[in-house]
Amino acid sequence: MRTAAEIAAAAPHAPDFQIAVRGDDLTAVCFTAMASPCEVLLDAADSREVGELARAAAHEAWRIERKFSRYRGDSVISEINRSAGRPVVVDQETAALIDYAAQCHALSEGRFDVTAGVLRRCWRFDGSDRVPDEAAVARLVPLIGFERLQWRPPQIIVPPGMEIDFGGFGKEYAVDRVLAILCTRFLGAVLVNFGGDLASNRAPVQAPWQVGVERPDTDREARLLLEFSRGGLATSGDTHRFLQRNGRRYSHILDVRTGWPVPEVPRSVTVAAASCVEAGMLATFAMLNGRAAEDFLEAQRARYWSLR
Amino acid sequence: MQLKRPPSALQLGLMAASCALLSHTARAQTVDSAEQPFELDSALLYYKENPGRVQTIEPVVSLKKDFGDQRILGGTFTVDSLSGATPNGALPSRKPQTFASPSSTSLVPQAGKKTTLYAIAPGNLPQDPHFNEQRVAGDADWSQPMGLDNNLSFGGHVSTEHDFDSFATHADYSRDFNEKNTTLSAGLSEEYDQIHAHGGNPVPGSDYELYEHEGGQTKTVSGALIGVTQIMARNWLMDLNYSYDHSQGYLTDPYRILSVLDALGNVTGYRYENRPDSRARQDLYWVNKVAFGPTVLDVSYRRGKDSWGIGSDTAEAHLRIDLGHGVYLEPHLRWYHQSAADFYDLYLSAATAAPQFMSADPRLAAFIGTTAGLKLGVTIGRYGEVSLRLEEYQQRPSDQSSALPQLQGLNLNPNLTATIAQLSWGLQF
Amino acid sequence: MRVRLPLGALTGSIIALSLCGCQTLGVKPWQHDVLARPAMALVSEPMDAAIDDHIYFSKEAASGGRGFGGGGCGCN
Repeated sequence: MRTAAEIAAAAPHAPDFQIAVRGDDLTAVCFTAMASPCEVLLDAADSREVGELARAAAHEAWRIERKFSRYRGDSVISEINRSAGRPVVVDQETAALIDYAAQCHALSEGRFDVTAGVLRRCWRFDGSDRVPDEAAVARLVPLIGFERLQWRPPQIIVPPGMEIDFGGFGKEYAVDRVLAILCTRFLGAVLVNFGGDLASNRAPVQAPWQVGVERPDTDREARLLLEFSRGGLATSGDTHRFLQRNGRRYSHILDVRTGWPVPEVPRSVTVAAASCVEAGMLATFAMLNGRAAEDFLEAQRARYWSLR
Repeated sequence: MQLKRPPSALQLGLMAASCALLSHTARAQTVDSAEQPFELDSALLYYKENPGRVQTIEPVVSLKKDFGDQRILGGTFTVDSLSGATPNGALPSRKPQTFASPSSTSLVPQAGKKTTLYAIAPGNLPQDPHFNEQRVAGDADWSQPMGLDNNLSFGGHVSTEHDFDSFATHADYSRDFNEKNTTLSAGLSEEYDQIHAHGGNPVPGSDYELYEHEGGQTKTVSGALIGVTQIMARNWLMDLNYSYDHSQGYLTDPYRILSVLDALGNVTGYRYENRPDSRARQDLYWVNKVAFGPTVLDVSYRRGKDSWGIGSDTAEAHLRIDLGHGVYLEPHLRWYHQSAADFYDLYLSAATAAPQFMSADPRLAAFIGTTAGLKLGVTIGRYGEVSLRLEEYQQRPSDQSSALPQLQGLNLNPNLTATIAQLSWGLQF
Repeated sequence: MRVRLPLGALTGSIIALSLCGCQTLGVKPWQHDVLARPAMALVSEPMDAAIDDHIYFSKEAASGGRGFGGGGCGCN
């Protein structure tokens, strides 16, 4: 069964965005990218100015998607994953992302690993009870390990059978990039929101941004309401992607050392940091800590909200 | 509330890694470089010195292509058309004076030689009215990053006019430090020029009457530059450059002469100027760019000195005022002061022997130059930006009066006033 | 009045200072928004700068300082 992301990427979408006015002086640019509803809120009303900014924002999001989506055959990631052990020379942007993946791998003591995508071959988190058997998982573990790659900038060698994927921080990176680009052309307040991963340069004059974070599995309509001024905000959660069997819930956060889900992962963790990539990575690290997620975030003095 | 605790190693590491990722790609790629890799800049300059002096019309076209990853190829093409009267270095006199235009090969009409004379009425500044020159120049440059923090660029220049050809090349290297807050740069340049004046290069320092001319001459200019650019604050950028130039070869102006005067101030003759064959120049250039909301102030100061004894100070400011809707206004002020060259003389005395080096070129004299201008720019959507710049430049030489009786009442080196008008169009596609 | 100004030594010491003293100066990478604006580039109007350089090169004894990029002309 294909995921929403695979369906969205396969359909040749005629890239389009909509502009809507929200309240007084606030304009929203809406489009779809990276299988998420994307929204850019601008503290501006001039429609021509907004049109230019909307184009810039959407094009950057689509550019990053085109370049790094593993679902697209023409992406840099696909080219690397097809290389079967041959060296691939990458450009500056890809090199910077691989460096970031390497640093996060080291900082998480190996738990964050961009080569873990091969586990998709046996793990499908569709809410069903189809948990893979141990032998199938064990066969994939030797194909995981960032240290098995040979990264000598600008050349990367991915051994046959292995693959890399920037899905773990690609959306957050796109959020920060779109914000940076808009800030070079626009002096007002901007909020970039790609499916719950946010970044802003500053709050509008009237009041801080009001961000609502979904609280899964509750009867209450009210969402967690945050006041957000500037920086990044990212949420990691297993609300939609999990397996359930024999009363046990398997989250999609996998421990790459064993190939099995990290136990006792919070339902959702929302982190605020200086940038969206930093917030997203902190949230991911927290989830990888499973039961100790909150302790981890306390130790990092992070501003966070978690739900179990 | 969080307790005040030193940041953990992981926290610092993650912050640094996120910084590095965003700062690196912040400058590496813009939306437009992939979709609109070309940048066209064009300008039409009109420069006119008042009254009745040199005027030039100069169209310039520049095209840049971004091949992605900050690899940029640029080319510029310039055509310069000068005409009008230009001072020849001699002083005004109570009596009429006659000179030969530089294209002449003889002062007096002779068979097989060309003579074009021009007469100057008493009291007027001697100026050659036949000045007419066309110059065509081409530049090309390439810039690319090397690794994540370094940038390399190099380029070449060729220009040609009837009496002067120039070939130059330069290479620059820069490196970023402190999360791209500091950039160090260094560059070298080399220029080779051929001077073949109309009618031949005169023998420097020789008697004008003899009209001795010799063949072509050359000169070379070697330059080195080091600079540091520092981000001082979120809205403040500072740059400091030190440059050193050394010129060697034929540095004399082949068309300029000096008046030789007797004790009363009567003209007894003229001599061609003679400048040393080497010149070493140093410049210190300091720029600050500060943003106050949408307004940007660019303020700079340059201090220069050279081995000819010329010291200069330049202070300049541009204020770009964003009026919204893609319109901006930019007033500009510039103040310039230079001291005279060691060998600068208003005239030569017939009584004493001619010095080894001499020149009456007003550009080597002591003067103050001021510029005031205003620029208006309008962005027309996808058709780019159009702007009009109008400036006035005034040169006021230091008071150079003389006690000589025949020179009383004559304006020995008048002020220079010039109007600068430039229409520009820039487009990305 | 001649002022002896060791320009080279002055620049050298300023550069050395800025390298070691500038850990505190500067901004975080995500604070590059204002600096990234085209009007904040060091040479934000290269066409105007090149034309001005040419005009003042032909009318004054001092020249350059900003960087390289041009060649000579017969006007000085």
